[in-house]
Amino acid sequence: MRRPRLAVAGLTACSGCQLTLLNCEEELPEIAARFDLVHFPMAHSGGEPGAAGPEQPRPLFDAALVEGAVSTPGDLATLFRLRGQSRILVAFGTCALFGGVAAMDNRRSGRDAQLAEVYGAPGSGFRSFPPAPFKNYVAVDFAITGCPPEKRDLLDLLGALLAGTLPPVPCYPVCTECRSRENLCLLLERGELCLGPVVQGGCNARCPATGVPCEGCRGPVSEANVAQQLQLLLERGFGREEIESRMSRFTPEWDYGQRR
Amino acid sequence: MGSVVEINPLTRVEGHGSLKVFLDGARVERVELRLSESPRLFEALLLGKGFAQVPEIVCRICSLCSTVHKVTALLAVENAFGVRVSRATALTRELILNGGQIQSHSLHLYCLLLPDALGLAGVTGLARQAPELLRTGLAVKRVGNLIQETVGGRLIHPVNLVLGGLGRRIPRDSLLFLRDEIDAVLPACAEAFRLYRFPADTPPLPPPNYLALRESGVPFSGERLCTCEGRDFPVAAYRDFISEEVVPHSHAKNARVLGHPPLVGALSRLNLGSPLGTGPGETFPELRGQIIGRDMRANALAQALELHQAAERSRALLEELLELGREGAGNVAVAPESGRGTAACEAPRGVLIHSYDFDAAGVCVGADVVTPTSLNQEALSGDLLALARALEGADSALFSGELERLIRSYDPCISCAVHLVRL
Repeated sequence: MRRPRLAVAGLTACSGCQLTLLNCEEELPEIAARFDLVHFPMAHSGGEPGAAGPEQPRPLFDAALVEGAVSTPGDLATLFRLRGQSRILVAFGTCALFGGVAAMDNRRSGRDAQLAEVYGAPGSGFRSFPPAPFKNYVAVDFAITGCPPEKRDLLDLLGALLAGTLPPVPCYPVCTECRSRENLCLLLERGELCLGPVVQGGCNARCPATGVPCEGCRGPVSEANVAQQLQLLLERGFGREEIESRMSRFTPEWDYGQRR
Repeated sequence: MGSVVEINPLTRVEGHGSLKVFLDGARVERVELRLSESPRLFEALLLGKGFAQVPEIVCRICSLCSTVHKVTALLAVENAFGVRVSRATALTRELILNGGQIQSHSLHLYCLLLPDALGLAGVTGLARQAPELLRTGLAVKRVGNLIQETVGGRLIHPVNLVLGGLGRRIPRDSLLFLRDEIDAVLPACAEAFRLYRFPADTPPLPPPNYLALRESGVPFSGERLCTCEGRDFPVAAYRDFISEEVVPHSHAKNARVLGHPPLVGALSRLNLGSPLGTGPGETFPELRGQIIGRDMRANALAQALELHQAAERSRALLEELLELGREGAGNVAVAPESGRGTAACEAPRGVLIHSYDFDAAGVCVGADVVTPTSLNQEALSGDLLALARALEGADSALFSGELERLIRSYDPCISCAVHLVRL
């Protein structure tokens, strides 16, 4: 059987999603054997995708796993190129899916003001726009969420690709797994600002299990009742500004419903 | 006639960068190292956020170094508020830093550098041509990650490290499990240095200006920075000694220490006398000539010794934590006050400084992060120019190959470097 051809790349990000692949130490030799890792600059020289010549397979990649938000003309060019060259484009991680940490202040301050803050006057020479998820620009076929993503989610995707399909996506909040682990409820029993009820599960409630409130790194769960979460937190004495600041750490766009 | 040799993108490094060498005929005129990672502007994002949010957000600067960013940020915030953590917390933080060191050094040594030593293109080549060596490297790396995941609660961007203490104490059976895992890879760590040697008959590079934290009795942390010229200064006053400027063609700033471009990382630590512990201390004398006074091409050897050191030290820390049991644990309450907190750690790639200003309510009003790769940027550019000139007229594959290898020996972490430091 032909080995699926993969591209693994990053835009505006910390390389953590690509590192998650390299962190699959036990599985990596088998992944390298079963896939053709054509383009993976972080771990491999060469394989830079150029214009697809007549002798090159089309599409060039069976799947492209791309991390990071889109925040520069260069990011956009890379994204368009990989979209055009890949059968399946995977938004790999929270930045690619929701914008991530770089986008947290998109609603609060302008990109120019942030650039000037960090680089001073010379910063005005950099071409950069508010970091945005892939879906604002291209069609995305599949997404792995998380900052960082779970190894398990990545391995599930790779296994499914080998079988010619895509894995199911969990559609329950962090609280589901947290309750089944019988953790103390940080939100109701300790009054902490935990985002578990509105955030996508699948992480086995890692943070609440160590006594740390959910920071929302996996983004909104489907059908999240955001207005009710806001109400609950307001009733517990948190300020609206603090709540929105925490909510937007990984996802600037929340649907607060009637509370907007 | 002018021409340009371009290496774009730089591969087997963390983040996005490229190199241009400008030629006039065969003569090298200048080199331009472009760290082109898109800026994420962390210092701007932190302004207006509460103190508790700072370490959680700022560790996202970089995945490879997320643990040391988190610990340094916690120390800086704790310094600002005069918090002293318990012994168990301090030991646990040191343990996870050692785990980070093992993971980062083994990734660099076995996955990113080894292909060069064996003439391969990358990890897939290793999997085919040197499967045993790759498996050994991955087994070592896995243990570094196990430490990070067990202690930090998550592999990247650890959650269990919180202001004033730990989310949860590490249970005894986890400590015992980690001890067994380390024992299994200690022999491999002790042999890692055999994969590398300082290249013979290579062109000389400018003499390095080593910079590291002064030995304080606690590995990876310290209150003073020292240089190879015997100068030293307090971390808290770093702004008076480290100057930075924006480079037009790069998204990372150049840094100078006392007027010189500094060199940080494993090689600098060993040159400035960072203690190695028993095992690597016994190996050191035979490698001494390949490390002391050498340029960054000796960094892989220094990292290999540090890999062994980190494994040995992790084991000792686990014993200490096991002995400590439930004593010395407990979290310290953190109450904000206005002021500045600064802290420095030795990250795998070298000196890392975090500094924050808070108002009386604990809201962040100033943030500054100085990373190893931005400290190293000017030394790297200088080395590249010297090497390019020494290779004038060489065949183009050799020319680009040697330059790329030099860049890789720095183990640059471009995500870290780019987000820059305010002047």
